Amino acid sequence: MADGKEAFKVWQCRTCGYLYEEEFGDPNEGLKPGTRWADIPDDWICPLCGTPKSDFDMVELE
Amino acid sequence: MIPQDIADTIVDPKAYAEQKRVDEAFKTLRREMPLAVAQPKDFDPFWVVTKHADILEVERQNDLFHNGDRPTVVTPIKAEKRVRELMGGSPHLVRSLVQMDNPDHFNYRKLTQSWFMPQNLRKLEARIREIAKSFVDRMAAKGDRCDFARDVAFLYPLHVIMEVIGVPEVDEPLMLKLTQELFGSADPDLNRNAAEMQDVDAAIASLQAVVGDFITYFNAMTESRRAQPRDDLASVIANGKINGEPLGYLEAMSYYIIAATAGHDTTSNTTAGGLWALAENPDQFRKLKADPSLIPSYLEESIRWVTPVKHFMRSATADATLAGQKIAKGDWMMLSYPSGNRDEDVFVDPFTFDVARSPNKHVAFGYGAHVCLGQHLGRMEMRVLWEELLPRLEEVALDGTPTRTQANFVCGPKSVPIRFKMH
Repeated sequence: MADGKEAFKVWQCRTCGYLYEEEFGDPNEGLKPGTRWADIPDDWICPLCGTPKSDFDMVELE
Repeated sequence: MIPQDIADTIVDPKAYAEQKRVDEAFKTLRREMPLAVAQPKDFDPFWVVTKHADILEVERQNDLFHNGDRPTVVTPIKAEKRVRELMGGSPHLVRSLVQMDNPDHFNYRKLTQSWFMPQNLRKLEARIREIAKSFVDRMAAKGDRCDFARDVAFLYPLHVIMEVIGVPEVDEPLMLKLTQELFGSADPDLNRNAAEMQDVDAAIASLQAVVGDFITYFNAMTESRRAQPRDDLASVIANGKINGEPLGYLEAMSYYIIAATAGHDTTSNTTAGGLWALAENPDQFRKLKADPSLIPSYLEESIRWVTPVKHFMRSATADATLAGQKIAKGDWMMLSYPSGNRDEDVFVDPFTFDVARSPNKHVAFGYGAHVCLGQHLGRMEMRVLWEELLPRLEEVALDGTPTRTQANFVCGPKSVPIRFKMH
């Protein structure tokens, strides 16, 4: 559990498959480890292909 | 209008083999005319998109800038005419994802997308690591010298992708030869005629023969997988449906061809070029050895450094504005990835190889809907190879002069002779 509240989630770009894992963030994008999906600005786009944040899906990794 | 000597350089396969000449040409363009029209001898005019931001802007708008209406690779006028005669009006010898636009592109990509997603690839990592270890062992068995391109970099990604597709190991040399004949068609060391190809009709006939050999091979594979599906990519293509119908014949054959060529050649080029860069930059090699956590950034830097896909072409479906210039409907455009990946506005010291470069938002895999489908597989293959090789590699240096393939589309190192010490 993160923050003692909710488990970290993983979000995936529908176009290219880029994974945003809240636990690790994406330092290249200026997103620190632990940054929640909801805290990423709505105009953020996929760093690999430019797909809008709205076209990401929450996924489960094995 | 771009000066004639620069226009001729940016389509000259030999300039890409030399690299310095093409780097200088694009450096001049980025500085003096970052978006301008070139008309090399024997070619239709086209816009040359040299800046990173403009490449992203074009790739992002895949309905405004199409892949399929004109050749996707820069092609002389006579060659385009000849292909259209042969292919019933189409400017393409094959019809893969690269030549498609929506809705076909979306539908055909969806067919294999899940195969190439990171969560599926994680299941393959243990097997890929076994393959990587076997190539590292083979390199160690060579003693203290090898040609890293020919002995390791060309063969390892080939083996991985062929296993993914379902091509038996015995056929890998054939697949490598056909790939090199396709992408190295302008290189007398690699093309089918083993000669400089000056005559357009002969060059197209040669390419058509290579594509024909691929089709003969994969046609048999389709029949086999339809009769007995397996857990491989060939079975997905052979039994796939688009809108409830099997894939078109040319589209299915093209799907195999792109997987069996682009699926290893780009990774091979990057792997060979990545080690070449370490051999030439001992300080970077030592830095990487001292801190293996730099492997991911080294990997991205080697992709940027080599940029194996040199360009793709697009054409405008409507009048448009790009970087303040008017692009007319039908205009043809060259997206120069090596130029975007040396853009001084995006990369600090772009001509310096830096294993710790961060951020490193290169455009080597493209961008937008056509971004490379196999990028996650390519990255995984290279990461795993470096994780296995670097801890055992104590010293590495060039042992002669490396060479590059003569090609203006997909190319990279042809030979990387090295001396090394391994345990």
